[in-house]
Amino acid sequence: MKSSPTGPALSVAMGLLFCLPALAVADELPGDSVYQVTASLTAQDGRELSSPDLRGRPAVVSMFYSNCHLMCPLIIASGKAVQKQLTASEHDALDLAVISIDPARDTPAALQDVADAHHLDSRWRLLRPLDTDVRTLAAVLDIRYRAQPDGTFNHTSVLILLDRDGRVLARSEVTGLQPDPEFVAQVKKTLVSSH
Amino acid sequence: MLTSTLWLVLLATSSPAASPAAYVEIPGGAFRSTIRYEGNDGDRVVADFALMQQAVSDREFQAFVLQHPQWRRDRVPALFADSGYLSHWQADDAPDPLDAERPATHVSWFAADAYCKAQQARLPDWAEWEYVAAADPQRRDARTDPVWRNRLFADGTSRAVDAAGNAPANAYGIRGLHGASWEWVGDFSTLLGDSDKRGADDGDRLQFCGATGLSFNNRDDYAVLKRVALLSAMQPRSTLGNLGFRCARSRP
Repeated sequence: MKSSPTGPALSVAMGLLFCLPALAVADELPGDSVYQVTASLTAQDGRELSSPDLRGRPAVVSMFYSNCHLMCPLIIASGKAVQKQLTASEHDALDLAVISIDPARDTPAALQDVADAHHLDSRWRLLRPLDTDVRTLAAVLDIRYRAQPDGTFNHTSVLILLDRDGRVLARSEVTGLQPDPEFVAQVKKTLVSSH
Repeated sequence: MLTSTLWLVLLATSSPAASPAAYVEIPGGAFRSTIRYEGNDGDRVVADFALMQQAVSDREFQAFVLQHPQWRRDRVPALFADSGYLSHWQADDAPDPLDAERPATHVSWFAADAYCKAQQARLPDWAEWEYVAAADPQRRDARTDPVWRNRLFADGTSRAVDAAGNAPANAYGIRGLHGASWEWVGDFSTLLGDSDKRGADDGDRLQFCGATGLSFNNRDDYAVLKRVALLSAMQPRSTLGNLGFRCARSRP
């Protein structure tokens, strides 16, 4: 922008444009966005991010714990099954994020093991929140979980579709390997409209 | 700008909220909860923790709102609170001065959660709350006393045993647990979970789990059942005129 041949006039004009309140509002997070929760998260590659960093692209999100051998693999399998039904460009436009409800055990290394075991591509982020943020994140996603004395968790198993600003568009209970066709249709529709 | 900053400082120094809220050390122990979680039939072990002596008051909550204006009722995101949020306040950032020492109500779970985090604290778990609330002024567990039980019928109303300002503290030194307001707990959403799925079980078991996430060890404990029914009906953004909160801290 600064090296633009039209020079200072355009810079001034752009400056004014960015001052307009309408643009500021457009940039503001919607009141019903789940990214209103600012949680610190660590991805499986050790990268630190804040929940609003997920903003900008539609995403399918869920919560799980890696020390779980039935529903949690199903959540991931179901997410992968959604991806399989997308075209190449749709596939590249959709993020998938799975947040741990067991941050004590789900270190980045443990999450990386899950990513490797399931051959997850680079669209997937397995995220470890701070212990103090797990309940808040679960609350905005309406995911219920309860620690059991044997170290397992009862938890809601669901895929949730968020638009690029973090608003919940659709939910699909995970009951098997294949996601609900209506959910997949909603994902495709969202990817079209967010281009 | 200068005047408003000054105003904030004055408020912070002159209000009781400026003095740190009193926490009482609670020695943990084994506890027979009235609620029976599936897969957990025995006693629950409550670890040592600290609990606020009194529920958070409107004045204390005002200090939080002034410091964190995103929690003002005119600014709070819809995600975090319904339209009843702080609706009893005189202004967007001020309660009725005559009521300011009363427990803060019309507060969503998200707001209570954020308040406690701002105090480097957390909401108590249900088990912690129930453990301390089992006490009357003399006994740490008065639940087998039918007289004590009957008094609890008035919980959440102005006739409640702890509603009066001069009501005695319970055996732990905690006040107001059976007051005119109910209280949020951190894990309220686990009290009933229709759509819970068991983590490590077979398919049939999953169906079964969905229906029986929770049952009761003691169906005579009507006061507790009533509280569970209330909390389990809430969404985390819901508010009620007789639902407040207090914070807890784990032992380091």
